[in-house]
Amino acid sequence: MLSSNTYIISSALIRVGRYFNKSYKDLIRELVAELNKDLPIHDYIDYVVVSNVFSDSILEQLDISTMIIQELNLTPKPAVRVEAGESSGLMALKYAHSLIKSGMTSTVLVIGVEKLVEYPTTVVNKYMVRLLNSDVEGRYDIVTVNEAALLMKLYMKKHGHSREDLTIWPIKMHENAVNNPYAQLRNRITKEQVINSQIISDPLRLFDVHPLGDGASAIVLTNNKELMSKVGTGCVELIDVLHASAPPLTHRSDLLSLPASKYLFSKLGNYGVDLSDCVLEIHDSYTILAYLIVEELGLSDRGKAPYVVTDIKNINLSGGLKARGHPVGATGVYQVAEVHRLLTSGLGSIKLNNSWGLVHSMSSIDNNAAVALIRRCG
Amino acid sequence: MTSGKPYAGILGWGVYIPRYRIKAADIARMWGFDLTLVKSLNIEEKAVASVDEDATTMGWYASHQALIRCNVDVNDIGAVFVGTESKPFAVKPSATVIADALGIPHRRLTTDMEFACRAAGEALRISIALVSSGMVNKSLVIGSDTAQASPGDVLELTAGSGAAAYVVGPREDSVAYFEGSFSYVSDTPDFWRRDGVPYPSHGEIFTEEPAYFNHIINSVKGLMEELGLRPNDFDYAVFHQPNGRFPLRVGAELGLSREKILPGLVTPWIGNTYNASALIGLAKVLDEAKPGQRILLVTFGSGAGSDAFSILVSDKISESAGRALRVTDFLMNKIYIDYGTYSKLRKLLERL
Amino acid sequence: MKISPPRIWRERYNYYMLRITQCLDCGRASYPTSLTCPYCGSSNIRTVNSSGLGEVITYTISYFRIEGQEDEVPKVIALIKLREGAIVLGEVVDVGLSEIREGLEVEAVLRRLKIDGNSGLIWYGMKFRPIIGAGIPT
Repeated sequence: MLSSNTYIISSALIRVGRYFNKSYKDLIRELVAELNKDLPIHDYIDYVVVSNVFSDSILEQLDISTMIIQELNLTPKPAVRVEAGESSGLMALKYAHSLIKSGMTSTVLVIGVEKLVEYPTTVVNKYMVRLLNSDVEGRYDIVTVNEAALLMKLYMKKHGHSREDLTIWPIKMHENAVNNPYAQLRNRITKEQVINSQIISDPLRLFDVHPLGDGASAIVLTNNKELMSKVGTGCVELIDVLHASAPPLTHRSDLLSLPASKYLFSKLGNYGVDLSDCVLEIHDSYTILAYLIVEELGLSDRGKAPYVVTDIKNINLSGGLKARGHPVGATGVYQVAEVHRLLTSGLGSIKLNNSWGLVHSMSSIDNNAAVALIRRCG
Repeated sequence: MTSGKPYAGILGWGVYIPRYRIKAADIARMWGFDLTLVKSLNIEEKAVASVDEDATTMGWYASHQALIRCNVDVNDIGAVFVGTESKPFAVKPSATVIADALGIPHRRLTTDMEFACRAAGEALRISIALVSSGMVNKSLVIGSDTAQASPGDVLELTAGSGAAAYVVGPREDSVAYFEGSFSYVSDTPDFWRRDGVPYPSHGEIFTEEPAYFNHIINSVKGLMEELGLRPNDFDYAVFHQPNGRFPLRVGAELGLSREKILPGLVTPWIGNTYNASALIGLAKVLDEAKPGQRILLVTFGSGAGSDAFSILVSDKISESAGRALRVTDFLMNKIYIDYGTYSKLRKLLERL
Repeated sequence: MKISPPRIWRERYNYYMLRITQCLDCGRASYPTSLTCPYCGSSNIRTVNSSGLGEVITYTISYFRIEGQEDEVPKVIALIKLREGAIVLGEVVDVGLSEIREGLEVEAVLRRLKIDGNSGLIWYGMKFRPIIGAGIPT
């Protein structure tokens, strides 16, 4: 029996990290083994949507979704890869959601996978440039971390913050990640460690920047109610996935605004989302972006986010991109899987009673942004 | 070779000298040269092009300055010549990049020329001919080099980077016009660089009497004979400057006093900028010259040849000097670097 | 081959010059050129060459390393406001790390943007350098 709603009925994650001894196929095999504990995916998956950003640059592999289907012996089931920069994970979710909402498909496996540690950092960095406009930033090899650094300076100047004032976010993220078994960096850090870490792009330091790690995560979406009782330990409803784009950084009237994210957050009221009863996962690829997102969400006045984030509960309980890690194409799927766990069987030892989950993702400095709205079932 | 009747002059001039400088003494210490040698070459420091600079980019800047100075319509420029011996491409002109980047129309003569350090000098003579004959209205002549020298070669003490650009056009519009010019060229193997080899080789002392001195003296004598001029008729003399010593020595042999040479002597502070060497010297003189003054410009290129020009400054000079950057602006605008940074900027270290 | 010949040829005027869009309706300038004004959407626009002069709004000194480009770090990256009003992202070269500052006056200069190994093309384009006399002690 098919529902008019779409549900996330199962999720699988591996800890983000350095899997030198495992290929992307190995990582996906592990995910599938976990999903198969309930019911073999062969028996119920209709479609596979893969989120991956760097398969052609790092893995030298196109049509990676078919390679995955073949690896899993899922032929003749169809598969497709979705890429929209750092928002790819949520875009894969949107693609899957659309397949189900349109009635074309009933059950979709969404896989996010990225292998970032196949090469030394300086090689991977070369590909990071490609997330920005090759005609604008690309000619100078400007990367998002540079733009984040520019915004951090503007923010500090405009609101009178010292560098030290801005250390609270990474400290909080590392604290949160201690409890997330899937986080890459599960160690507490101090203010001194943040401000004395190596400069990446002044004033941004190593501890303001997401780490590089491999990752793979999966969720199962369905409108088949019968499956919900057979598979997984609990379900949440995927209300919608919203997506928007923004003008390039240099065309924004307020450089410290995130126009695409702001636009999406303005739509939340239409869904009756109550942020105070919400688990939040936001795209904190760089410290400054976390503060700007918190402000765009209306959780803080402009320029005050560093003072209020300590008191914001249930934000990036995973540790965020900063500490859980940011295996680029897989990140959005991790965020959704984490929210699924938080609202059902628990993420590690953390379990919440919130009614809502909000996952936010964006590419570079809000070039595009996406929001997934999730609601506890029943 | 004589000049015929020139009817051309300089409308505008511009130079470019990179900001980075290395002390000649630092290079000497690196390679174990006695500092007395540095002193005898009269070289204090040399200009070093940055990692993203080459003859094309420096030539662009000098041209940009020259165009700002004379404010001519780029549509009137019918020829663009780049004299360089540090072409970024063995095959593919620099002049096309510079001309397109300056918005000069495509119906033009455009070429790179090579004759060691004097290709730009010959380009000047060609431009005088083109303008005098009416074949083109205005010609842009660029001398630009990131001078190469093998690390540890004595040449490294002096090989600098820089560019100069001149807009040559009708005499009546000029700030200084060519009274005449003369070239003297022979097959003299004093200095060379084989195809595909990064650094030049030279005959050391053989570069002196048979090459630099012989060719310069003959071109200057030829010019003076043709125009009926004597050394005393010149207010300034600017020679190609492989080091800070040769121009003074050749001047003395020609009966030109130090006072006439020193204003245009720039090599002690920027090094030998090859094709730009004499032309930056001339620019420095034009920066301060007064109407009616006569300037002797003498290029030299190994292989070997020399071009001598007699240039008479016109009334229009006074309004031109302040319109664009002066040579002294560049001489003062500097950042000192050590040998390590210099090797990084000039790609002397082989990286994998 | 890593630098595309048609690409750098086709776009050369956009790389060799700082061409901006001036909106004849709202009056704002933007970079790079586009078919409509990014601010008001008007197609009543014209493309002009910028003076290339501007000042640093803010900057970052980047130690971000990319394979093969070790000779370019540290790199100064800045948001620059051109005299015509357009805001551009660019690299500031020939500036000491203690000289770079907000408000520094810069000019656009032609430089090598990228080099394709030992045998490929050299891609030229505009970077920025402090204008001579920009208050930097010499």
